[in-house]
Amino acid sequence: MTARAVSPSRLATADDHAAAAELERTWGDRPGLIGWLSTVDHKRIGIRYMVTAFVFFLLGGLNAGLMRLQLSQPENGLLGPDRYSQLFTMHGTTMMFLFAVPMMTALGIYFVPLMVGARDVAFPRLNAFGYWVYLIGGLLLYAGLFTNTGPDTGWFSYVPLAGPEYTPGKRADVWAQTVTFTEIAALIASVEIIATIFKHRAPGMSLNRMPIFVWAMLVTSFMIMFSMPWVATASLFLAADRLIGTHFFNPAEGGDALLWQHLFWFFGHPEVYIIFIPSLGMVSHIVATFTRRPVFGYTAIVLANVAQGFLSFGLWVHHMFATTVPQIGSSFFSATSAMIAITTGIQIFCWIVTIWQGRPRFRVPFLFVIAFVVVFMIGGLSGVMVASVPFDTQVHDTYFVVAHLHYVLLGALFPLFGAFYYWFPKFTGRRLGERAGRWHVGLFFVGVHLTFFPMHYLGLAGMPRRVYTYLADTGWGPLNLLASIGAVVLVSSVVVFLANALVSLRRGTAAGDDPWEADSLEWATASPSPPYNFVHQPVVEGRSALWDRSEAGPVVTGLRTDVREALVTTVMDARPDHRHFAPSPTVAPLLAALATGVTFIALIFTPWGLPVGSVLLLVTITMWAWPSREEHADQRSQETGAPA
Amino acid sequence: MSDSRASDVDVAALPTTVFGPRDLGWWGTVGFMAIEGTTLLVAASAYLYLWRNAPTWPPEHTLRPSLFWPTLSTAVLVLSNLPMIGVSRAAHRFDLAELRRWMIVASVLSVAFLFLRWQELLALNSRWDTNAYASVAWLTVGMHASLLVMNACETVVFTVFLHTSRVTERYFSDASDAGVYWVFITLVWVPLYALVYLGPYFI
Repeated sequence: MTARAVSPSRLATADDHAAAAELERTWGDRPGLIGWLSTVDHKRIGIRYMVTAFVFFLLGGLNAGLMRLQLSQPENGLLGPDRYSQLFTMHGTTMMFLFAVPMMTALGIYFVPLMVGARDVAFPRLNAFGYWVYLIGGLLLYAGLFTNTGPDTGWFSYVPLAGPEYTPGKRADVWAQTVTFTEIAALIASVEIIATIFKHRAPGMSLNRMPIFVWAMLVTSFMIMFSMPWVATASLFLAADRLIGTHFFNPAEGGDALLWQHLFWFFGHPEVYIIFIPSLGMVSHIVATFTRRPVFGYTAIVLANVAQGFLSFGLWVHHMFATTVPQIGSSFFSATSAMIAITTGIQIFCWIVTIWQGRPRFRVPFLFVIAFVVVFMIGGLSGVMVASVPFDTQVHDTYFVVAHLHYVLLGALFPLFGAFYYWFPKFTGRRLGERAGRWHVGLFFVGVHLTFFPMHYLGLAGMPRRVYTYLADTGWGPLNLLASIGAVVLVSSVVVFLANALVSLRRGTAAGDDPWEADSLEWATASPSPPYNFVHQPVVEGRSALWDRSEAGPVVTGLRTDVREALVTTVMDARPDHRHFAPSPTVAPLLAALATGVTFIALIFTPWGLPVGSVLLLVTITMWAWPSREEHADQRSQETGAPA
Repeated sequence: MSDSRASDVDVAALPTTVFGPRDLGWWGTVGFMAIEGTTLLVAASAYLYLWRNAPTWPPEHTLRPSLFWPTLSTAVLVLSNLPMIGVSRAAHRFDLAELRRWMIVASVLSVAFLFLRWQELLALNSRWDTNAYASVAWLTVGMHASLLVMNACETVVFTVFLHTSRVTERYFSDASDAGVYWVFITLVWVPLYALVYLGPYFI
């Protein structure tokens, strides 16, 4: 008997051809602009998220480049203190809120459904809404910069500096609302990723067979869910202090400036792991694929991931060692800060064993992983140093901290770039150039060390962060120049990557379904994947979804192809449970996002933004939820079994 | 089909409408409950943090909240879960006529909450810009009020939908999730009521 096709590039029977053609009609978008605006396809939205986040990465890098130019020599006159303050605030805010978190959730949105063998995310319209809200938030921040209203109080916007007394005008409000937009987007992504993982896994993919990247996204999503509300609420308090005269952070009326730091860092520390854990997940996949063996210590890695999720909520006070928190409290946070290094250590050792036992293929994604281990170890070690209270008090607010945090965060960037090389064939059907890729790894690796390693010394020598210039007799000039040269190398590595991506998009070698002979289900279908992901969803028979699978492996049959029907399975064991009607494309999420935008942007200027925006939201969300005639017919057909 | 094989999983006979944790919509509802619950936890934490900092609570020359409207409103909110049992039962039985009746009751209640909440805000007895105590009390109650506003909008629109459109089975499952959300709104309110309205009397 013939096997049923999973991938549209391997259609064998007439039935398969008919099914694929009908699925294309059912799940595809309308052509043209309206199709572009109304799509709810997780892959189109995921790509959109990634491209947008990457543009913000370039802008954030541009901010940093200008800062490095300014600091390349003592008493440089290129930027004044005001412009410089805006630039470092924009740089941090862009990289954290507009690049790093959205990029990680974007990869989750793109790959989680493919890796668990689903047709789409659990709430496709919400997914589209999240993207548009994020885009509006990013545009707001840069509109602020170009109208001389760019935030200038640092990416963590400490009060009292950011309060109404010391930052009159609208700069801090632009920051607070940008944060609100990006938090809404991330929270939405977390809900849909969790629901997709719990309820849309292919039959047979019990929790203990889930790909490690999916586990990483699950942990990350829970962390987003329980950490982001803290900064969202804190920024609401800040906006209220500034707009309607509340006194949350005003000590004269019983408020407390340290409250801000607690609320911010209760989010801010998990944030680092929200960026970092998905990267660890990518490393596991790349290591497995390029050593051609399942990653060693699956259970240990998953548990280490989960432990990191929990521990990261017990670290926030280590950002506040220089404040008046009680000493006993500080020692607790010092201990957890050192403890979290263990969970990372476990994973690194598991990868080393995997590589040891396997036959490594030193392709670009794998090179990025090796570079990551080196860079991240340095960041981890300086992290253990600043976890110690006396040491931290000494280097607080110096360039040592800048060096540490960039080693950690750029450490997370290495696997991300590696993952682009790894997954680019899935996005586009073509491979990225290998030779340019090697240049990219090399330049990036050298650039990171040249730029950030000298900063350790600058910090120990007493150079404070966030100063727009320094005097020649400090002796900081040569190392700053070195760091600035490093920044040029970093920029050149990104230029190589961009050029590689643009050229490969047109002229890269064709990839086929599974160019790396990898293990997880995203490689079971065509590259790029069709709107419906799989002709027949595969049934999973082991932890290695593809390596354990024979060419004629079992598939799911009996799902409707003429209406948007998706399979829902049970949480633990992924047993088939029921058939779900998936929502169709519509522009309503875009309109609802615009209404959200009007609400929050108007709130910068007047409290009337709230009632007016609420009405707009009510109208647009009603449009979103109310089924059209056509949709009603499809729902009825799905429920009754009558043909559409 | 002639070429279907034993190990393939045929799902054609599975149901299309299920209730509770089996259903996707339930997970969405619970996800947003977790997020909204966390924001209220943040507000309560800020309340306790500022309380701990203050020598007296409320600060001198600030009135304590009145208790009549808040207590009445809390009682009504708790009791309003009874009609939601009716909603849930009608939904599970796919009884559209009964569901429509109970949803009208729910709509009236959800709008009545808004009036009661307004009285509760006035019962705080000081404006939000008086001092940090008043700020955190207002915003805590206000943030929960935003859930009541959303709930009222959803309930009324959904009731209109049930009365004016042809209703497919999936909406019965949605109605039952609305009952879950209602319980959540009640459960998070009771400790907030104790904190904001009773708290200042017990310091």
